[in-house]
Amino acid sequence: MSTKTPETGPEPYVSKIDRRTALTWIGVVGAATAAASAGVVVYGPKTGGASQAKGYGTDPKLNPPVKAPWPRLMSHDQLQTAAILADYILPATATAPSASSLGVPDFVDEWVSAPYPDQVKDRPLILDGLGLLGREVLKGDAAQRAKALAALPGSDFFKRFRALTIGAYYTTEAGFKDIGYIGNVARASDPGPSEEVKAVLERELQKLGL
Amino acid sequence: MAAAASYDVIIVGSGAGGGMSAYHLTKSGLKVLMLEAGRHYDPVKETPMFNINAEAPLRGVSTPDKPFGFYDATVDGGWEVPNEPYTVADGSEPFIWWRPRMLGGRTNHWGRIALRFGELDFKPYSRDSLGYDWPITYADLAPWYDKTEKLIGVSGAAPARGLLNTPDSPPGCLMESAPPRAFEIFYERAFRAMGIPVIPMHGAVVTGQMEGRNTCVFATPCGRGCAIGANFQSTTVLLPPAMATGNLTITTDALVYQVDLDKAGKAKGVTYVNRKTGEHHSVTAKSVVLAAGSGETARILLNSKSSAFPNGLCNTQGMVGRYLMDSVGTGVSAQFPALEGLPPTNDDGQGTQHTYVPWWGYEKQKEFGFARGYHIEIGGGRRMPSMGLPGIMPDDQTSVGDALRAKLRNRFGSVIGFDGRGEMIPNDDCYCEIDPNAKDKWGIPVLRFHWKWGEHETNQAAHAVKTFLEVIDRLGGTPEPNVETDGRKAISKGGEMIHEIGTARMGHNDKDSVVNQFGQSWAVPNLFVMDGAVMVSSPDKNPTLSILALAWRSADNLATLAKQGAL
Repeated sequence: MSTKTPETGPEPYVSKIDRRTALTWIGVVGAATAAASAGVVVYGPKTGGASQAKGYGTDPKLNPPVKAPWPRLMSHDQLQTAAILADYILPATATAPSASSLGVPDFVDEWVSAPYPDQVKDRPLILDGLGLLGREVLKGDAAQRAKALAALPGSDFFKRFRALTIGAYYTTEAGFKDIGYIGNVARASDPGPSEEVKAVLERELQKLGL
Repeated sequence: MAAAASYDVIIVGSGAGGGMSAYHLTKSGLKVLMLEAGRHYDPVKETPMFNINAEAPLRGVSTPDKPFGFYDATVDGGWEVPNEPYTVADGSEPFIWWRPRMLGGRTNHWGRIALRFGELDFKPYSRDSLGYDWPITYADLAPWYDKTEKLIGVSGAAPARGLLNTPDSPPGCLMESAPPRAFEIFYERAFRAMGIPVIPMHGAVVTGQMEGRNTCVFATPCGRGCAIGANFQSTTVLLPPAMATGNLTITTDALVYQVDLDKAGKAKGVTYVNRKTGEHHSVTAKSVVLAAGSGETARILLNSKSSAFPNGLCNTQGMVGRYLMDSVGTGVSAQFPALEGLPPTNDDGQGTQHTYVPWWGYEKQKEFGFARGYHIEIGGGRRMPSMGLPGIMPDDQTSVGDALRAKLRNRFGSVIGFDGRGEMIPNDDCYCEIDPNAKDKWGIPVLRFHWKWGEHETNQAAHAVKTFLEVIDRLGGTPEPNVETDGRKAISKGGEMIHEIGTARMGHNDKDSVVNQFGQSWAVPNLFVMDGAVMVSSPDKNPTLSILALAWRSADNLATLAKQGAL
């Protein structure tokens, strides 16, 4: 990802989902032909996939957690578009990876493909939005891409996609590092906040007259 | 097979009430058969302790299959259990009913808030002529609170304050809480300015050295359960020592639906359906303890019909299912600029709140316009990010790149949520009964709930929201959008606080109650109730600690009666 330049366009997004997992979904929707193409992850087909999909049930294995079992609905183009948009929202920095390198497009696919009400509600908004955006960003040059992306903020599609990207990104270890979450480690005791933190708090409380 | 053995006691349910009764009865030398409707559950193997949200489907968000999030310990749905419906009567306000189907019941995921009821809580009618008095006083239960706290491990030790109706535990009962987190130091100052006390929370978490127990690692959410048994769960604290006596047999997937009587009118056992095979079994014992949870306990009694009890067992006076109560729930969250940009600090803590606000308005009830009160549970800090993270910046839907990263870093940990948990006064409109038509998968009639909050509750909810907004304002915060200030709309749904209690209450005689002060039913002397169903009032304090203490006291009485041959 780090080598991409505006002149050549973004590198194609390579799914972070392993092939065996993807073939499981394809099996669910009965696409025998897709499984034949060795080593290639094929997204789709869509027929019947959504209506037949089941959730993880009321007693899923928590330790280690099961993978989301439902087949994925996003097309190759939608995934590529999701990668471009996710990296527009959270591109790589000197210290933090890009959204696409953390698999955010695959997460968006998992989300919009899920059979639960909140996710089903998001599905048309996200898939239609990606379809429209894809026409602008998958074929055009860098200037057209930039223009199409800059025009998005304010739309419902952008708001929702951005929220999903933020959530997906900052729930990873890399996200923890970027935002400054330093917990989830076993400790012999909890010493409470440092003197430095307490001093900052005291200053703020005094400003509030407390 | 269970049916072939000879048991002194059958206990229905394995949660707080069932687990504690089994703990004491097996230690007393009685042979116990425990029947649990859910599956076997092993917290040591099954708890996702350090897993992050990125490892979970949908980053761990709530779904209808896992309403409290993917990693919540609850097995089989919570609000909706497959194959086991319940109904709400036409014209009723909403009521929802949380049921796990697992060994240890709700103790696996509960909030671990372990507050004692106070002196006023046992005599509410005497104080304000509303509701009903308990047949016991605080002094009757205090020794059992002491024992329970020492057994299960509770934090919150502090110098005695003597606050009204907010008992101090005697020295030696509690361990010290972890120090207040940054946001807890912060909010305390606003309450102090309002003359409202903030004191250490009592949490069922081992924060110090305790024999036979692991100390908390101050890292992962208690709601997932605890693989090292550092918080209280029936499955880690009560059932293992009960099993070690050799006196406990546990049968899981056993959904009890009926108490069986002999010709003399005494309980001879229970009948259950195996949820996996659909087979029905009857088992016998010298006495029966119902601790299936207030709803399920009432359902078993009401479904146990005979010529002597045509309207359900112990229901000759029509009291079973009545006086159903829950806690009053309210909540407002806000974002605080003063907390922005704090240096990174580890706020994971001991799982529970480290501090809380006990109810402070006992002398001002008339002025406030409602009887009874609420305590405030306050959450915040730099906790593990979830899909809810964008909610820390509702005012920004557009920034990207470095600006977005900077804003998130700055705002992280600057949101605080204030939740009221308050007392409900029992009323005639809140009860459960058997639905005349609906049945579960096995043909067993199901519960139908009736619910209506009273004015004391809705006024209390409005007061709580007003209080939260004042605190937020003093701290310079911005409340979440569209805060509901109308108490009738701000109040939680019936059952939503998962504190439903009071369907087989204790009392002085068979006219005013279903059981006596030891959970022994008036109608059938060898039939006992040892869960929240026996409660007479619903104080603001979360009920689990009191369920445990009452169950221990009742089990001790049962063991004495058994030794006397009185059962």
